[in-house]
Amino acid sequence: MPLMSTWGWFRSPELLARICTKTQGFGLQEKLALLSPGMAAFMVQIAGKKDFPALLPLNENELEEQSVKGHGPGGQATNKTNNCVVLKHVPSGIVVKCHQTRSVNQNRKLARKILQEKVDVFYNGEKSAVYKERQEAQKKKQERKKRAKETLEKKKVLKELWESSKNVSEERTADSDRMYCTAYKE
Amino acid sequence: MKLWGQMLWGHLSGLRGRQGGIWGWACSTWQSHQPQAGPLSASGLVKHWTAVFEKRGIPEARESSEYIVAHVLGAKTFQSLRPVLWTQPLTAQQLQGIQELCNLRLQRMPVQYILGEWDFQGLTLKMAPPVFIPRPETEELIEWILEEVAQRPQAVGAQGSPLILEVGCGSGAIALSLLSQLPESQVIAVDKKEAAISLTRENAQRLRLQGRIQTILLDVTIEDSWTHLLPWGPMDLIVSNPPYVFHKDMEQLAPEIRSYEDSVALDGGEKGMDIISHILTLAPQLLKASGSIFLEVDPRHPELVSSWLQSRPDLCLGLVAVRKDFCGRHVAGPKDHGGGKLLTSWQPGNGESKEGSGDNSYLPEAPSEHITFN
Repeated sequence: MPLMSTWGWFRSPELLARICTKTQGFGLQEKLALLSPGMAAFMVQIAGKKDFPALLPLNENELEEQSVKGHGPGGQATNKTNNCVVLKHVPSGIVVKCHQTRSVNQNRKLARKILQEKVDVFYNGEKSAVYKERQEAQKKKQERKKRAKETLEKKKVLKELWESSKNVSEERTADSDRMYCTAYKE
Repeated sequence: MKLWGQMLWGHLSGLRGRQGGIWGWACSTWQSHQPQAGPLSASGLVKHWTAVFEKRGIPEARESSEYIVAHVLGAKTFQSLRPVLWTQPLTAQQLQGIQELCNLRLQRMPVQYILGEWDFQGLTLKMAPPVFIPRPETEELIEWILEEVAQRPQAVGAQGSPLILEVGCGSGAIALSLLSQLPESQVIAVDKKEAAISLTRENAQRLRLQGRIQTILLDVTIEDSWTHLLPWGPMDLIVSNPPYVFHKDMEQLAPEIRSYEDSVALDGGEKGMDIISHILTLAPQLLKASGSIFLEVDPRHPELVSSWLQSRPDLCLGLVAVRKDFCGRHVAGPKDHGGGKLLTSWQPGNGESKEGSGDNSYLPEAPSEHITFN
């Protein structure tokens, strides 16, 4: 898929929208021409202006929704329980399948939310808000782990100190114990 | 023993693939004791019952078994279960529960009645035969009403706290989803069946919405019965998913519907217009001047309604808009999603197929439509 070769390029939402609408009905050749190397610098400039770009909004015209339905009429005359929603973002080819709930309406909303995040990552790569959020979360998790480990180490050291101070006081009180300790050391 | 366990755990949590040496061996031995999606796991049971249902000609074989197994495991859908639960062996109690529910499915009981609950517009509602099960298409009706109330409140007569009348409340799906998404609204829900009124009340209580809903046992087809509603004042909205099936189509309904759901909730008479015409007749007496009526109807109705309204100029009602729901026409095609299901593709809003393959034949008729009047 030709657009895949441009993964990782930074694109601004405005450019993306323009490209998509212009390429409706265009062939693959035209699509590639629009994404010429000369545009790269321009795109990077725009993308670099924001640190946290907002999630790219999805254009319903670029979406194709599918559902599994049987023959015959719908509505009152049928009772279909398959509320799985399959949503495709045509320009990128990303497909999301959602069957998280028993309400087709909820699944449609969830599918759009998930698709929006995936499309954002697809076009914005490391600059996407989703990616950044994940990085932040991972970083926090690592920091928490580190702190927990440090606390554990401190406790260990304190325990050892406590144990050794106990041994010292015992040596002074019990001769037999001292003999045992001496023997052990040797 | 503890040290061994710790090392094994540490190895497995970071495991991406087989590793050589003793740890690899330890890992594979441990894994060989795990029943990977064995017959007594959730996945195994879904597979088993799907096959049983298919053999017995039960529609939606895979979906039915998935919903039942997920329900017994405490989840709403199979996909929403934690993946680790797909392969773990089930308890004897769980197995028995699944067996009992699947036996009901073999008797063509609708899944919603088997589970005793279903979801609608994000709400979980109790379901009980023979009260009509809310259809997914009706969720679109709710969306449309919410859009209209938000965008053009004056057009629906609603200013902040709309008063809504629902005719034929059934399980309370429409009434309660509107209440929950319009926090200032009040609903008067009527139905001619006691079972429906009772179930709506119960669902209202479960969702803690009972303070804003009034349920009334009422048959709107009985002459002047609507006068009982006058004390509650003129309404901003009248909404209904009235029985609209053409009488001659009733016998073609699937056994799930014919045997378990109340036919009174479905049968709309010769042209499916009986209850619709009664609602339109009472509407001018109960609606505010700026109010609107929202109905779900059969695709053949907008024309019938239009001509019916023309014959009743005294009502001063005009058909404002007809909106097709998102379910496009069913198409036959090369794509098959397991279980022999057909695939339909549409673009929200116009019901047209976007399938690229030339094998699909498209018939531009939507299974249901929503219409609004004022």
